[in-house]
Amino acid sequence: MKLFLAVLLVPLICAAEPASVVRPTELKKDPATDAATVVQVPADAAVDATERRGGWVRVRTPAGEEGWVKLLALRYGAAGGAKRGDSGLAQAITAARTGSSGTQVTTGVRGLDDEKISTAQPNASELRKMEGFAVPAAASAEFADRGQLKAQNVSYPK
Amino acid sequence: MRALVVALVFAAAPAHAQFNLRDLNINKMLDKAKTVMSATTEIAEPDEIAIGRDMAARLLGAAPLVNDPGLQRYVNHVGRWLAAQSERPDLPWRFGVLDAPEVNAFAVPGGTVFVTRGLVQRMRSEAELAGVLAHEISHVLRKHHLKAVQKAAQTSLAGDALQHALKEQRPEARDKLITLGNELYTRGLDKSDELEADRVGIVIAARAGYDSYGLASVLQTLHAMNAQDSALALMFKTHPSPGERLNALTDRMQSVLDSYATQPQLPERFAAETKSLRR
Repeated sequence: MKLFLAVLLVPLICAAEPASVVRPTELKKDPATDAATVVQVPADAAVDATERRGGWVRVRTPAGEEGWVKLLALRYGAAGGAKRGDSGLAQAITAARTGSSGTQVTTGVRGLDDEKISTAQPNASELRKMEGFAVPAAASAEFADRGQLKAQNVSYPK
Repeated sequence: MRALVVALVFAAAPAHAQFNLRDLNINKMLDKAKTVMSATTEIAEPDEIAIGRDMAARLLGAAPLVNDPGLQRYVNHVGRWLAAQSERPDLPWRFGVLDAPEVNAFAVPGGTVFVTRGLVQRMRSEAELAGVLAHEISHVLRKHHLKAVQKAAQTSLAGDALQHALKEQRPEARDKLITLGNELYTRGLDKSDELEADRVGIVIAARAGYDSYGLASVLQTLHAMNAQDSALALMFKTHPSPGERLNALTDRMQSVLDSYATQPQLPERFAAETKSLRR
């Protein structure tokens, strides 16, 4: 049982992600608006984000204070704008275009960019294929049921 | 303005007619008034669906579907269930994953929605997929692209060409209309349309029983990526920044988001159904 719990907790501990808060935010003791405030966190403060519960995320400040902040107050990535680098797409496309011999190859994946979209010719066979994958509403309701998704009445906000 | 022109045409007719009824071609005048009006009236649903099929075929010419029938069916199940919660449940809804590494999604008039492989690969749950599909469904519900195409057609297709294009009476006019439509995917919609689709989409996803934070989670993922990343170039050019969209949600959607935040996210089903996209 202890091992089972430990296994469950591992992803939560490992999943600490650098984040920052976008506005002055109250760090709450529990994930609720009426919970006690641990400390007021200033805008742009760096935190480590871990577990999410509903609209709240558990964070730890550099000073070691722990608590919960609203999910929408968090922006992931290291504070100060140092973000992950390029996904390498541009380089991959360049490589595909050039090939090992240095000449143009036609098999490389061209990106879905402005030029590709504006010069595209209609592809009727892909359209037919897509229409073949359509699902009737009744089948989608069974699919929702299998996922225990329950339809709700929600009105649009004004 | 157009309504004013129509009113003037009608108002002018009787006064003129008193003097020289024979020289005045009333029928021609009425035809002209009708044409001017038709440019501002709503495009009928069958025409919307027909234009959409042509626009979808062009997008599929730019990037084909990911060759994984199971994945395509899965996305159709999620999308169709979402659309069933909307005000236009009976459109011929179709969903497709485009085989492109970029991060993007597209809504086509009449009920077609595309999401790229690059975007699906960055998602972590079915609720995130639902959040993105519901945003695109909302563009269709509110006819954002259709209205933008119509507006573009009014300024660049002369006179009654829009009607000819809709009726497929003049192939070159029809072709021009579809080109105008696809240009929207490289230019983008109005910012207000995007922010509206975020809000409407969150409601649709919550109605479908999904964790209401799906779209917000995806926006946080995009925010954490390098804005200079080439995979984001077209998406970022055609949409407000993820940070701005998240701020707008904080202002307008906090109560809906919090009321449905504990509904299922279904990360396991999502991982199983999209495993062909993970190397």
